[in-house]
Amino acid sequence: MTPIFEKTLLIATIGMAGIFLFMAVFYLLIRALDKLMPFQEKKPAEKWSEETATEKEEEEP
Amino acid sequence: MGMEQLLPAIAGMTWQDMVMIGVGLLLIYLAIAKNYEPTLLLPMGFGAILVNIPLSSALTQIDPATGNAVEGVLNVFFDAGIATEIFPLLIFIAIGAMIDFSPLFRNPSLLLFGAAAQFGIFLTMLLASLLGYDLREAASIGIIGAADGPTSIVVASRFAPGLLGPISVAAYSYMALVPIIQPPVVRLLTSKRERLIRMSNPSNKQISKKALIVFPIAVTIIAGIIAPSSLSLIGFLMFGNLVRECGVLNKLSLSAQNELASLVTLLLGITIASTMTAERFIRVDTLIIIALGLFAFVFDTFGGVIFAKFLNLFRKEGSKLNPMIGACGISAFPMSARVIHQMGQKEDPFNYLLMPAISANVGGQIGSVVAGGIILTLVPFFA
Repeated sequence: MTPIFEKTLLIATIGMAGIFLFMAVFYLLIRALDKLMPFQEKKPAEKWSEETATEKEEEEP
Repeated sequence: MGMEQLLPAIAGMTWQDMVMIGVGLLLIYLAIAKNYEPTLLLPMGFGAILVNIPLSSALTQIDPATGNAVEGVLNVFFDAGIATEIFPLLIFIAIGAMIDFSPLFRNPSLLLFGAAAQFGIFLTMLLASLLGYDLREAASIGIIGAADGPTSIVVASRFAPGLLGPISVAAYSYMALVPIIQPPVVRLLTSKRERLIRMSNPSNKQISKKALIVFPIAVTIIAGIIAPSSLSLIGFLMFGNLVRECGVLNKLSLSAQNELASLVTLLLGITIASTMTAERFIRVDTLIIIALGLFAFVFDTFGGVIFAKFLNLFRKEGSKLNPMIGACGISAFPMSARVIHQMGQKEDPFNYLLMPAISANVGGQIGSVVAGGIILTLVPFFA
């Protein structure tokens, strides 16, 4: 084994481990973001104003 | 008046120049007739013709009358755009603006294939070092396996500028040849039963806009903290993605995806060709590099597929992964995902692998940039 091959082998080992480490961190990041910021459907603006208007009408004597 | 004075280009033409002009014509043919990465191969092919005509003013020449160097436009482009890494990094902004990370949010575990399918890079580095290349050259050759042209250019221009021409040609040619390279390797590594595995498809899940905006910022900060040298690659990719996702820069996002990508790709291709001169390209090295590039792509596919089979050892019947998905962990997007989806449909027309394949392929886009960043960080420590 040449010294260059030995160095390359070390880089290859650290490199593959490093990529898996990065990806594992990004995986956890995605899971965390998905949990902390879940998708929320927005109510359409028109529907909302209609509902509010109806509520107001109901409240009025 | 002799031939040398009347037509100095003809008089100075060598067989090596003619071979390189032939290479240029071949690249143009592949781009136009076969549609192989035409945006890159066509400018590279034309550039190869430009720089191999003797006394071409596109390259820096010595004026025989004054003895002064007259700068050629391609050398100016090279010094300004490639040596400084500006062109590939601008391409990263464009790519970032094109990537939609929502498939990864729907299936985040497939991100790991983006790591496994970088195996070919490091195996090729090892082989290159056995063949006598020094560490920096071996790393530059190995990075062809990232299946990501700009990453290959950034690494090669920093570590082995002399090999930039063949490395770029190999990287872009093999990216175009993914539909030819991957299927036989996948078939060799998987049984028919494995290829028929169906995967659940959470394609309807909606992803919050906030999460998609925070993701590129968080990735940049994390990558910067772990490996600051990777920031130029990952940071520019994520910046482009933030421009896409923020929702207030739609015009800039579209410009990055279209005009910026087109202009820089055009300049990148023709500028790389300035390294494709006969004296640099017609060497045994070039053939070795092109062969090693193929080796890298084959073993990327191997790494991804074998990793999927390994994960299946721990998964229950009914939740097993189709191991072909592993092959999509390379960066060639969306070609690799499309190839694997088509392979799945060939075996079973009702097997829809496109969504998981796209998720793994997006993982590959991140994985290739991370691999480039890690190599940029590690190699100087050992070289």
